[in-house]
Amino acid sequence: MKQIEISPISRIEGHAKITVQMDDAGNVSDAHFHVMEIRGFEKFLEGAAIEEAPRITPRICGVCQTAHHIVSAKATDAVFGLQPPETAQKLRELTLLGQYIHSHSLHFYFLGAPDLILGPDSDPAERNVVGLIKKNPDLAKMAIKTRKIGQEITSVVGGKPIHPVTSIPGGQSKPLTSEERDGLLPKVKEGIGLVESGLEVAKPLFEQYADAIETLGPIETHFGSLTNGGALEFYNGPMKMIDKDGNSVSEFDPSNYLDHIEEKVQPWSYMKFPFMKQLGFPEGNYRVGPLARINIADSIPTERASALYGEFKDKYGMAQNPLLYHYARLIELMYSVEKAVELLEDDAIIGTNIRTALSEPLMSTDDAKNSDKRMRGVGVIEAPRGTLFHDYETDGAGIIQRANLIVATGQNNLSMDIGVRETAKAMIKGDEVSEGLKNRLEMIIRAYDPCLSCATHMINGDSPLVVDIHDSEGILVKRQII
Amino acid sequence: MVKLALELLASCAGCEVSILDLHEDLIDVLEQAELVYAPILMDVKEIPEDIDIAIVSGSVRNEENKERLEEIREKAKTVIAYGTCACYGGITCMADLYSPEDVSARSFSDNPSTESSEQPSEVVPKLLPIVHPAGDMAEIDYYIPGCPPKENLIKDVLVPLIAGEIPEIPKKSVCADCNRTMEHIEFDKIHRRIEGEPDQEKCFLSQGYVCLGSVTLGRCGALCSAAGVPCHGCGGPSMDILREPSHDVYNCVINRIAHISKMPHKDVEKQLYDIGHIVYGFVIGSTIMEDKKVSLIPQLIKK
Repeated sequence: MKQIEISPISRIEGHAKITVQMDDAGNVSDAHFHVMEIRGFEKFLEGAAIEEAPRITPRICGVCQTAHHIVSAKATDAVFGLQPPETAQKLRELTLLGQYIHSHSLHFYFLGAPDLILGPDSDPAERNVVGLIKKNPDLAKMAIKTRKIGQEITSVVGGKPIHPVTSIPGGQSKPLTSEERDGLLPKVKEGIGLVESGLEVAKPLFEQYADAIETLGPIETHFGSLTNGGALEFYNGPMKMIDKDGNSVSEFDPSNYLDHIEEKVQPWSYMKFPFMKQLGFPEGNYRVGPLARINIADSIPTERASALYGEFKDKYGMAQNPLLYHYARLIELMYSVEKAVELLEDDAIIGTNIRTALSEPLMSTDDAKNSDKRMRGVGVIEAPRGTLFHDYETDGAGIIQRANLIVATGQNNLSMDIGVRETAKAMIKGDEVSEGLKNRLEMIIRAYDPCLSCATHMINGDSPLVVDIHDSEGILVKRQII
Repeated sequence: MVKLALELLASCAGCEVSILDLHEDLIDVLEQAELVYAPILMDVKEIPEDIDIAIVSGSVRNEENKERLEEIREKAKTVIAYGTCACYGGITCMADLYSPEDVSARSFSDNPSTESSEQPSEVVPKLLPIVHPAGDMAEIDYYIPGCPPKENLIKDVLVPLIAGEIPEIPKKSVCADCNRTMEHIEFDKIHRRIEGEPDQEKCFLSQGYVCLGSVTLGRCGALCSAAGVPCHGCGGPSMDILREPSHDVYNCVINRIAHISKMPHKDVEKQLYDIGHIVYGFVIGSTIMEDKKVSLIPQLIKK
């Protein structure tokens, strides 16, 4: 028995490793994708005032912070039964598009593309964004410019480029001024050309790597995403599940997610494994994210992304292979830029009616302790990596009593695990495992753009021995944990 | 060429994104420094020897974080604790408000969407009983708090360091950059941040909203108050609090509210509805903050 370990999996967000078990004959007997961290947001939200949730939860993830910020605000709306004004909804949607532009371009250009442009077998010391800058500085500059557009939207509309703050219960804290809109619009319009140039580089890669698309992490699963009457949708709408052939399995109000989705714990990973309740585990495995959304959508409501969608469908139909997540991500990148232009050109975006106030005063925290009043709100959106659920229950004063989060990446956990195992079995024979082959296993994981900070919520260790060193004043100068 | 490493511990990766937010300037920085290790961006799996500058983000949540931090400290000439988690523990340390057993249960055994299970324990690293800032677990040369630090800071710090100089960066509180006008108003109630409609020209504290601007290190440009929301304290404590043993985030903010409103201190304390999340939220894991005689952190955390 021999074990191959790939640790840390690099060019992903968070800590994970792959283990591959070999039998004495040199064949793979088992392999797993392990997520190595957990932080416990669900618990430590308890006791916080509900209005703090949209400011605490972005710290789950610094790549998709805006998605957490907005879904959290949506959940707080639901707790108080507030309907944000139209302008506020549009501002949130615009901020979310800023999130997509940043996250999708970050993932494709900075994390994923080095495998495709420099090659899976290229020198691992060069196979990264710095190598990309050296090899193709124009492409690297274009990547930087594209991502910058997303960060500028988030910064102007969300207040900060990382961990935005403007989505609050009932709406937004700050309107978009016409000067701000006029400053953003030409920059975002420029993004259309930038994404087009990116596609010129990217599209041939999918031809070049047609074999890898077939062989890396192949799997057939159900898919799930929000939908807007069949159109691609990130912010609202019922959740739709389809089977591996594309047939609709269910469509439901995502705030009833507990009737449809369950999570399993495996002893070797801190990330849980969600599955469709009615089919059980593992038959109910489903995937989310760009590929799921493109598979589920029967149209994209912007011109260029719609044309790309048509090409993709003609070529791949109901797409299952993980590497096609990259392609779907680029289609969504185009949609996000086009849709952001559309929202910025709509005068409703600079409206000043941006918040619906509480309809009745909050109960005091003392009164709440003696009352059994409970409020609950579920927020659901499509984050860049897939469907994201925040579910809060509060007392009468709006102090959080319970929180449950199901993040996008978790829903791809089982597919990543199976993909790594099956590919390892097919590709690894004998003791010699090249660096390039190990990297191909990582490429499966990378294709899903996993966000492991998101996926991991905390825990206990053994009591350590603590040695405190105090100075002569009694002030602690050093604490050593042994 | 200066050899540069990025290591993220228990963190959200926002600090690394803030470095990428140098945008076009990133290319200039990378021309002056060689990135030799950064798992989030590159495939070098082992921490190399002879790192000149290591930028460490995040807190220490588990044994793997601790080992990585120790190894990078050993191999790097200069270590920068980058971001509030690395400096003071950040929001991840809010986990210390609850016992590790309760935190674990909420994820794995007492969770509405999860088949009740034992906590995972195979292959995955053991968690430490409490969360620590990286700065409490290793010798640190420079602390750069911020959640995340503003992108220009990395340039203001790295470029001089690469040139072998000591960087000079601002030391003022968030209020110094805030454009709101402060007034003494006689109010007798602290408002929840969801109540009423704050006047967007006036200081939040003057209106009875808890704002940590006066007790928080600036450098962020007071972005949150400009965006219509009070300061959350994500930049970590102000220099005044760091320097004065008798000053603490909690007692300073209470004093400030009492001073502006003329409310008696005890009324202010009584009305503060959640100290753990809104006052100590970003620093609860810090031994520097916990060990102040006036600190309430020891009463809040469950070890």
